[in-house]
Amino acid sequence: MSAADDEAAVDKVLAGDASAFEALVRRWQGPLVNLAYRFCRDRGRAEEMAQEAFLRAYRSVDRWRREAAFSTWLFALATNLYCSELRRIPARMVALDDVAEPRDPRAIDGGLEQEDQDRAVRRAVHALPSKYREAVILFYFHDLDIAAASRSLSLPEGTIKARLSRGRAILRRKLSRQLVAPLLRKEA
Amino acid sequence: MRDPELDRILSNEEEILPSCGFAASVMEAVQREAAAPPPIPFPWKRALPGLCAVALAILSLVAGIILLFIHGAPAQPIPREWLAALASVAAASRNYGAAWILLALLLSFASVKLAMHFASSRMAHYERI
Repeated sequence: MSAADDEAAVDKVLAGDASAFEALVRRWQGPLVNLAYRFCRDRGRAEEMAQEAFLRAYRSVDRWRREAAFSTWLFALATNLYCSELRRIPARMVALDDVAEPRDPRAIDGGLEQEDQDRAVRRAVHALPSKYREAVILFYFHDLDIAAASRSLSLPEGTIKARLSRGRAILRRKLSRQLVAPLLRKEA
Repeated sequence: MRDPELDRILSNEEEILPSCGFAASVMEAVQREAAAPPPIPFPWKRALPGLCAVALAILSLVAGIILLFIHGAPAQPIPREWLAALASVAAASRNYGAAWILLALLLSFASVKLAMHFASSRMAHYERI
């Protein structure tokens, strides 16, 4: 399916054929569920949020002005929904200072086992203040594309860059402390 | 920890697959939405005379207060019949709790306006895309 197919499906939906929406759901279900999952880290909730995003898209598909791709509009709508849903009912998160230390602090490549390190980073991302967390999640979701992240969050690119930079600085500081602490304890 | 390391970890997020019934469940919700009758529009035509009357009453009240401030108290006192009628209206409104009803209506109106304002500003964003 291509952007033209998306547009054709939208035309059919607008003409009253609700079943044509299924093509859009099948094409975009993966990205929308994955984006939701990155926000909430809960598969069940991710699907619920993605379903609500599709439903909202169906209700307001006549407001898509075709100046941008359908996917751009859909991601902006979904991102807005996910952010407000998580502000309403936050995902189970921990304060940044309370992010648990990795299970296995053995020194490999100056720190931890890869898996533990990855887990620590992801948990630290989720403990970021929401505005930095949203920028970081969207930036990596869109394969390091600042412009796409800015369109999804409806914010200027400069703001995304600033939030990303600040978010990364917080992550670096917190994670360095975490990754170094077990080593220091071990040496002592 | 350096940025390339962060980039590597956060770029390699695990991908999840939607459950097999996901699309069907979304389409079920969409079909329900499509089958639902359209929302009943607000009956502006019927409400218009009442709204106009309320607006007129408020305007004349404001005008009366302004005139009172400009010209001072009227030389001719208010006729006794008017006072009696006003007193009976005041008594009736006290009996029915008109002040509370008015307050509730004003609060409802303000909250609806506020919600519509926020919703329309958000929808305006989608319309721009």
